[in-house]
Order: sequence, then C-alpha cells, then structure tokens
Amino acid sequence: MFELAIPLRAFFDSLRTQLVGLGFTPLEAWASSKLIQTSVTVACVLSVPLILVYGERKISAFMQARIGPMETGPWGILQTLADGLKLFFKEDVIPNGADRLMHTLSVIIAVAPVFVCFAPIPFGKDLAVVPLDTGILFVFAASGLSTIGIVCAGWASANKFSILGGIRAAAQMVSYEIPRVLSVVPVIMLASTLNLSTIADAQAGGILHWFIAVPIIGQLAFIIFLISSVAETNRLPFDLPEAESELVSGFHTEFSGMKFALFFLAEYAYVFLSAALATTLFLGGGHGWSAGGWIPSWFWFLFKSCGIVLLFFWFRWTYPRLRVDRLMSFCWEFLLPLSLINIVLTAVWIVFKGMP
Amino acid sequence: MTLSLGIFYAFAALIVGGALVVVLARDVFRSAIALAGVLVLVAGLFGLLNADFLAAAQLLVYVGGVLVLMLFVIMLLLSPQNQLRHQTNKQAISAALMSGVTATFLIVQFYAFLRSDAPAMEGQPSTAALGRLLMGEFLVPFEVVSLVLLAALVGAVYLSREERP
Repeated sequence: MFELAIPLRAFFDSLRTQLVGLGFTPLEAWASSKLIQTSVTVACVLSVPLILVYGERKISAFMQARIGPMETGPWGILQTLADGLKLFFKEDVIPNGADRLMHTLSVIIAVAPVFVCFAPIPFGKDLAVVPLDTGILFVFAASGLSTIGIVCAGWASANKFSILGGIRAAAQMVSYEIPRVLSVVPVIMLASTLNLSTIADAQAGGILHWFIAVPIIGQLAFIIFLISSVAETNRLPFDLPEAESELVSGFHTEFSGMKFALFFLAEYAYVFLSAALATTLFLGGGHGWSAGGWIPSWFWFLFKSCGIVLLFFWFRWTYPRLRVDRLMSFCWEFLLPLSLINIVLTAVWIVFKGMP
Repeated sequence: MTLSLGIFYAFAALIVGGALVVVLARDVFRSAIALAGVLVLVAGLFGLLNADFLAAAQLLVYVGGVLVLMLFVIMLLLSPQNQLRHQTNKQAISAALMSGVTATFLIVQFYAFLRSDAPAMEGQPSTAALGRLLMGEFLVPFEVVSLVLLAALVGAVYLSREERP
C-alpha cells in the first residue's frame, strides 16, 4: 500500500511508450526517462541539506540553549533561509597569491561526486535510480573523490592554516576509509552481493532479519561503520580538518559566500548518504520491523535514515574534539584490527550456519 | 553502438588532454589534480567496457587512495610560494630515446592487437566471475602478488623506521 515504485514504474512505462509513439527510438526514450529520474534525484540531494541544516541548528539550540534558531520566524524555520540569503549576497573573495583556478575547482571537486553517490541507493522497494551491480563499492569509490576537493581547497588558499587543514583531511579521510570499507565486508559476505537493492531485500521479514541483529558481528560492524562515517564526513568529534580552536576554520578558512555554502552542502549531503548507507546495509533498508504492515517502504527508509542523522547531530553537540595523534592511533590500532577480526568472525559464522 | 563510440572518443580526447596537462603543467599540484581527472576518465573507459568492478576499484584505489597520498606528500614537502619552480630539465636526448622506445613498443603491440579478433562484448556484470577467478583458478598468482605487496610494505617500514641509538 502507498508504495511509490508501482505508480512511478507505470508513469515511466507510459512515458516511454508515448515517446516511442512520437517517433523516438526506444534507446532515446529510455535515456530521457533516466534523465528525468536523475534530475529528480539531484533536486532531492540539493534540498536535503536545507532540511538537515535546519534540523541541526534546532537540535543544537535545544542542547546548548542557542537563541537564533528559536526566534527566526515560527519555530525558527526561517533560520536556514536567512543563512542562505546571507551567504548568497556575500562577496566571493579569493586571497592574493592563491591559485585562482584551483580555488574555484576545489569546490566543484568536493561537491560534484556526492550527486553520483545517490544513484544506486534504494530509497524503498524498487526505488533505486540505477540498481548497480557494484553498488556499495561504487558509492565508496565516488565519495572518495571529495577528499581531493578538500585537500585542493587547503592547498589553493595559500594559507598555512588551510594547508594544515588539508593535510589533516588527507590523512584522516584516507585512514578512516579503510575501516569503513572493511566494516561493510561482513554485510557483503552475509548477503553475498555488492548490489545495494539486493542487500536491502536480503533483510526482509522483520527486525530479526536485519544485519544489525546478527549476534556480535552485526552490532560491531554497525558501530565501526558509524564511527568511521562520522570521521569521513569531518564532523565532531573528528572535525580536525576544520578545528576552529586550532586552525581558524581549516581548509575552508579562505572561502566565502556560495563557495563556503557549497562545502556545507557537500558535508550535509554526505551525512545523509552515510545515514542512507547505514540504513540499507544494517537496518533493513525499506523493510519494516515486522513482516507485512501498511507503512510504505520509502517512509521506513526515510524514518530510519533520519534516526541515524539524529545520531550524527547528537555526537556533534555532545562530544569534545579528539587530538590528532589519538585520532590516527584510534583508527589504525583499534578500528582496523577490530574490523579484520569481525571479518574472520563472519567467516566462522557463515561456515557454522552452513550458508552458501 | 554509435552512442558508446561517441562517448569513447570524447573520453579518449579528454584523457589525452589531461595527460598533456599532467606533463606540461608548471605546478606539481595542478599536475596531480589533472592526473586525478585522467584516472577518473580511465575508470569511465573501464565502465564503458562493462568492467564495472574494475572501474570502481580504479576509483577507490588509485584516485581515493594513491592520489590523495601523492597530494599529501606534495603538501608536506612543497609550499605554495614556490609553485613556479621548473618541473622540466634539459635532458632532451635521453627523453626522446625513452619515449621513442616506449612509443615503438606500444605501436607494435597495438598492431598485433588489431590483427587479433576482439573478444565479444558481454553485457553481464563481471564482479561475481572476477571473484570466482581470483579465489579459484588464479588463487596462487593472486596470493603471490599480495606477498610481493607485503614485502614492499615491510621494506618501506624498515627504511622509514627511526634509528634507535
């Protein structure tokens, strides 16, 4: 009931037949329907940060008694709009001695990959734009490209604080990418596929079939994934690339106006991407906590993703920042061995359960 | 078929252009960024050939890993103020010799490839087949390669360790 996939499929089928009737080839009709789906996804990714920024400001306001987000308009709902307007009318400043081309290019490199990352995510039953066979690997590969944008931003600012931020970002994001990918390996082994839609469907039939419910392995993998996702999106307690108390604001010190806003768009889009991945991989995707039920799968997906996003916000406004050396040793000496042990445990579990 | 051919030529042109920027740019950092672009486009070529796993692995390992480490080294060792240092030297003869040998080798190989029959293009995704090959038929070569990598890692650690008095 209320599933979005069925009317959408009917709509695109009729669109294709009508286009073919108008004299287009089937390939062109297919390409145009994919173009529409892609545009809708890009528009959704663009609007997600608006909602998340409002949510984050509101939650921080509740947690730390901040005043602005409570007063701007009814329930502070105009705060995001006010921020956006302010940033939109700011001058785009490029510092003297900076690499002008790289300064602009870095923002593009940082923002562009995030739109591609949402292509294989199943937002519900049969609701992936491109059900890629290498889904999860593709998402990790594409999101890794943003690191280059951040490093580039640090370099192109010609400012020692920015460069320090960029160096920290490179070290941190390369390091935490490893436990992040390895923590997903147990899920891939259990579902024996890389396709995100198939992984989500392997968890159908209630909360006990979700991969987080696999004893020890599931919870361990989920926690490692969550921690390294927070580190990968450069948020507190791992926001060392932009640590305000040490580096002014790190790699985006010299960025103003819309360039600054685009960095934040990328950050919030990545937060939502991490939440969507955690939902798909560990929390059953669009499947509810019991088999059947009338709640549509897209609602379940958004509900669980928003829960994970809330966790991200909660971390940010409660934990203090880590020290740089602790951050690296935490990754290499704790998370990495733990995720390797978890993979071995999964192999033992699969042999024990007699799965193929 | 014409669509994929058009995409191939567009990618090939961009790769050649990007590679020229890598060699000719005066700033090391710009060269590295252009190299990133080239590697992404090569991943696109893999994708065009239905090697979807290879495309994703190329992005994940080369762009997300190796290239970021290269940028890291550039940022640690150089400062943006000496961007204009020369990346070229005057050894034209040895350069011409090296590139001439490489070009001849590539052209000979290319003609040998043209004479052979092209393998049939398959539409199937290749991940599962690749996994079966790596864990079955080619298990021993695969493990030998990982052993070589491990030896290289141990060597790097040995070379970079602190001298204890």
